Amino acid sequence: MNLFDWGLVPSIIAMLVIQAGIAIAIYKGLIVRYMKQEEIIMLGLLFVAIILEQAALRFYPIQAGVYLETTMVPGLSKIGQVTVSNQLIFAAILGIVVTGLFVLFFLKTKLGLAVRAVSYDINSSRLMGIQVERVFMFIMVLVLIPVILATLAIAPIWAVEPSMGWGYMIIAILVSVLGGLGNIKGTIIASYIIGFCHSVVGFVIAQPQFTGLSALIVVLIVLIVRPQGIAKSETVW
Amino acid sequence: MEFEVKRDRLVLRAGGGKWEWHIEPRYWRNPLIYIGILIIAPLVVYFVYRPLLPTIIEANVLAAIAIPLALMTIGTGRLNFGPQFYIGIGGYAAALLSIHYHLSPGLTLLAAALGGLLFGFIMSPISIIAGGLYYSLLTLLFPLLFLEITFIYTDLFKGDTGLAGIAPLVSVGSFSLNLLIYAFISLAMMLIYLFIIDKVLRSRYAVQMAAINDDEEVANSIGVNVNKVKIVSFTIAAMMIAVIGWFYAHYYGTFSGQTFLPLSFMLKIFMVTMIGGRMQIYGCVLGGYFIAFLELILIRTTGDMSSLLLPIILLILLIVLREGLLGLYRKRRYREYLPTLHVRR
Repeated sequence: MNLFDWGLVPSIIAMLVIQAGIAIAIYKGLIVRYMKQEEIIMLGLLFVAIILEQAALRFYPIQAGVYLETTMVPGLSKIGQVTVSNQLIFAAILGIVVTGLFVLFFLKTKLGLAVRAVSYDINSSRLMGIQVERVFMFIMVLVLIPVILATLAIAPIWAVEPSMGWGYMIIAILVSVLGGLGNIKGTIIASYIIGFCHSVVGFVIAQPQFTGLSALIVVLIVLIVRPQGIAKSETVW
Repeated sequence: MEFEVKRDRLVLRAGGGKWEWHIEPRYWRNPLIYIGILIIAPLVVYFVYRPLLPTIIEANVLAAIAIPLALMTIGTGRLNFGPQFYIGIGGYAAALLSIHYHLSPGLTLLAAALGGLLFGFIMSPISIIAGGLYYSLLTLLFPLLFLEITFIYTDLFKGDTGLAGIAPLVSVGSFSLNLLIYAFISLAMMLIYLFIIDKVLRSRYAVQMAAINDDEEVANSIGVNVNKVKIVSFTIAAMMIAVIGWFYAHYYGTFSGQTFLPLSFMLKIFMVTMIGGRMQIYGCVLGGYFIAFLELILIRTTGDMSSLLLPIILLILLIVLREGLLGLYRKRRYREYLPTLHVRR
């Protein structure tokens, strides 16, 4: 936006294009080569995250900060005795809508069916005529959309800085492990469990410093009872 | 007791036990040459170019962390993404006891080892209840949460500044001589770890570990006590890594979670194991020296850019070197090595 003096919408489109390019490069350069060695993929992706963070830090140091003019709904609302930013309410609704669209995509579309088939069995999917590599690449780009939308929605409220992703990564790991890796239904349930856990510890017990620790304890307890997580990771829904 | 001299080995039989020592040169010549080089290197550096001594210490320590991590990985059949958690345990145990109770390094070593053993034992059931990516992701979180705790209880852990005033391990009056002694201590630690784990990986326990690596259910069905092997290999390796935390605390005189607990340090350790030779213990030594010197060269030549260039170079090497640096050697002269990495999914 600042560099080329573009408007908000062209900047968002350009951001999506750049991110899609990076995602495809990661897929072609790393994921295809080590498809069956998840540990290498994980290490490589962590490296990519650190490289992007370091690169961003050179251009936008934390001290300088970044302000994104993405306020969609200005003002505040009062719900009972609590005052909430309208942008936050908008972000919450956006989250629910995007999740719903994702669920519908996976359950009701042919492409979603292909994605589910690939997640069950790659070889059988190939035999059924699914272009597995294209599906993988499509998914790499598709998963960017909710992340970008979430960043844009929360940007006016919480600070945007190069290291902001690590905190979200911890929450994302907890949610996906608790829900059952790759299962959307389990992930949705887990995200609410972790969210409520954070809220209870942060606001009801009033010990916000223990939110991360309490969520981890919840996840460990659930894993002891159900090692596969809330839902089976072999299924998408 | 019976002692027998064979063409290639000495054999001692006592009671029901049997011990063998290889005497044929091909078994001990190369290791002896490599150990000799590692011992001579600090001495040469001390007399020729002393600023390299800290890099040699760092290389030895990185290798000494990576070697038990390889044991943990092979023994559990899972990849622990949070080995630095145990460095934190050992380091903080040593630092707190040294600062607040003025305990000698000998006693803090005991405390760090016990701390590592205890936390390793408590954490080890995770290798039973979680597998594959679940295990890796969970273990990734522990050091990050420990880092969070150091900030929450900043009065105790000094999360923002780090603990200072830890008694030094060595103090002979000369800074350079101190460094030389530290270099030999770190080398001794690394070689002891290498020797112990090499022995373990050549023993019948290695066969059990290899069976667990290949298939836990099959291993269980043929009588391997899978849980026991996992817990023992996890706990012992955690203790060994915690001792490295103790060394760091007494070597630097300060200890900060911000240095050792973040992901960047974990990635460095992993690259030692991966670039060295995909969890091969001898590859860890190679990887430790490679990473330590690569980092030094980048800092000297590119300054601030090194924090960006180092991960880029390591990522490229991770992608390009499928078998690590040791793999280049193995391609030329293949030998049967120790159990390798098979991470269960």
